[in-house]
Amino acid sequence: MRIEDVVCSFCGCLCDDLVVEVEGKKVLNVENGCKLANEKFMGNSRLKSPIKRVGTKWSEIGLEEAIETTAQVLLDADRPLLYGWSGTHGEAQSIGVHIAELLGAVIDNTSTVCHGPSILAIQEVGHPGCTLGQVKNRADVIIYWGANPIEAHPRHMSRYTTYADGFFLKDAFRERKVIVVDIRKTETANIADEFIRIEPGGDYAILSALRAIVRGKGDIVPRSVAGVEKEQLVRVAEICKSAKFGAIFFGLGLTMSRGKNKNVRNAIELTEELNRHTKFTISPMRGHWNVYGSNEVFTWISGYPFAVDFARGIAFYNPGETTSVDILRRGECDACLVVASDPGAHFPAECSRHLASIPTIQIDPHINATTYLSHLQIPVAVTGIDAEGTAYRMDGIPIRTRKVFQSNYPSDTEVLEKIYQIIRREIGP
Amino acid sequence: MRFLLNTGRTIIQGSNVEKKNSHTYMQEASSCHMNPVDMMILDIEEEANILVRSRFGEVVMWAIPDTGMARGEVFVCLGPYANYVVSAETHCTGMPDLKSTEVDIEPSKEEVSPLWRLMESLGGYRYED
Repeated sequence: MRIEDVVCSFCGCLCDDLVVEVEGKKVLNVENGCKLANEKFMGNSRLKSPIKRVGTKWSEIGLEEAIETTAQVLLDADRPLLYGWSGTHGEAQSIGVHIAELLGAVIDNTSTVCHGPSILAIQEVGHPGCTLGQVKNRADVIIYWGANPIEAHPRHMSRYTTYADGFFLKDAFRERKVIVVDIRKTETANIADEFIRIEPGGDYAILSALRAIVRGKGDIVPRSVAGVEKEQLVRVAEICKSAKFGAIFFGLGLTMSRGKNKNVRNAIELTEELNRHTKFTISPMRGHWNVYGSNEVFTWISGYPFAVDFARGIAFYNPGETTSVDILRRGECDACLVVASDPGAHFPAECSRHLASIPTIQIDPHINATTYLSHLQIPVAVTGIDAEGTAYRMDGIPIRTRKVFQSNYPSDTEVLEKIYQIIRREIGP
Repeated sequence: MRFLLNTGRTIIQGSNVEKKNSHTYMQEASSCHMNPVDMMILDIEEEANILVRSRFGEVVMWAIPDTGMARGEVFVCLGPYANYVVSAETHCTGMPDLKSTEVDIEPSKEEVSPLWRLMESLGGYRYED
């Protein structure tokens, strides 16, 4: 069977034009997808049934027993942490927040180690963003700052920027200027019209210098800033000012480097400065396909986008204190439920060490680094392949992912709903 | 010799993110991209094993020459090998210093650990499908 307009649930681009050929419970072919999409749809490395570890011995267990055990571990904990959520659909995320509220737990999503600092900056100074459709049809200057879309979002350039013809850009490749700012010469930098190579940790200084030049205060900028010649910065500022519509996309090069949220704040303020001359927007390159959704869902239920602590009976948010890495580093949580994420691979080793020392339970279709740290894992259907649900694209557009075949795996929603019902029954109204 | 460790995505890492117990994932996540001149100074051959050590831990990786890297900087794709040497300090932001950890690098005769062994060293246990 050939299914058209399939949504890819890999990265924040949420490409919705895939054509997938399916036979029974197997994907035979994927058209229009990037390498990441092809591997995702064609992959066959699922965990077959729930597994539980007692001491050093793993054994398969039934789904109902796994769900019952999960609920009991969470009920027994004094300070449970519910982490992950960006690799599942909004409906499951919503149940997760309700479980956290019932338990008085901390719930956090993967923003905490990707664009959490961007959210902190946006909360300080706002977000002059726009949809990817606007960029595609209007933007004649694109800046990728600390981002490498060729490797991380392989179709971003062909669907929305460099190679995508738009309503006002009939020959995008020639009409759009692409500027890349990075500390290393990436594949993306190789195709840029202008590559600004900065010294590590120099983002804040470069952003400040550009702001000064755009403001007409270029005479106070020294001859070289963080390894970049002033001449180049003046040239880039001029390209930006003379754009009809400019779009900055930034990645973890800003959020993980020295300065973190302050880097992003400075980039937003550069955007504001450029808007005194022309139209400019700025947007984060979100990684997980539904990390934006986790921020949306957490916010519309609790008021906060990540790192929400319900221990006080109300939602409390204090990044640096209620964020997962900090809670694990302090050895504070005494149980952890990981949903649709792999902190074992993506958190510092000190955090993984604590995860291994407490009852950690994972709900995820695949064996990953967290599997080895866990006591129990429940495999579920993969959203976008054998489960469906709502996801938010990196520009905040909700897109309904589709199921391309029916499998025997339960969805995240089904598993979490059962866990919620047990906890609710135990805790009472 | 001291380097600044940078981490980030690669398409091979992304393609194998759901096959973390595969050899390809292990190879990619433990590849340390270095400037060829730095490798020459340290007498490290292409694809030779190296010990990457920070104040927070040490792990064996293998060296990949990369002319895109500046002298004194190394790149490892995000994952458990890079995270083995990164501090969990977040400076009140929730975000560790995933792009600015100082590491010392030297040639090593040790083998690169598979993922399960790395996780076992942190208190986990291997699961075999």
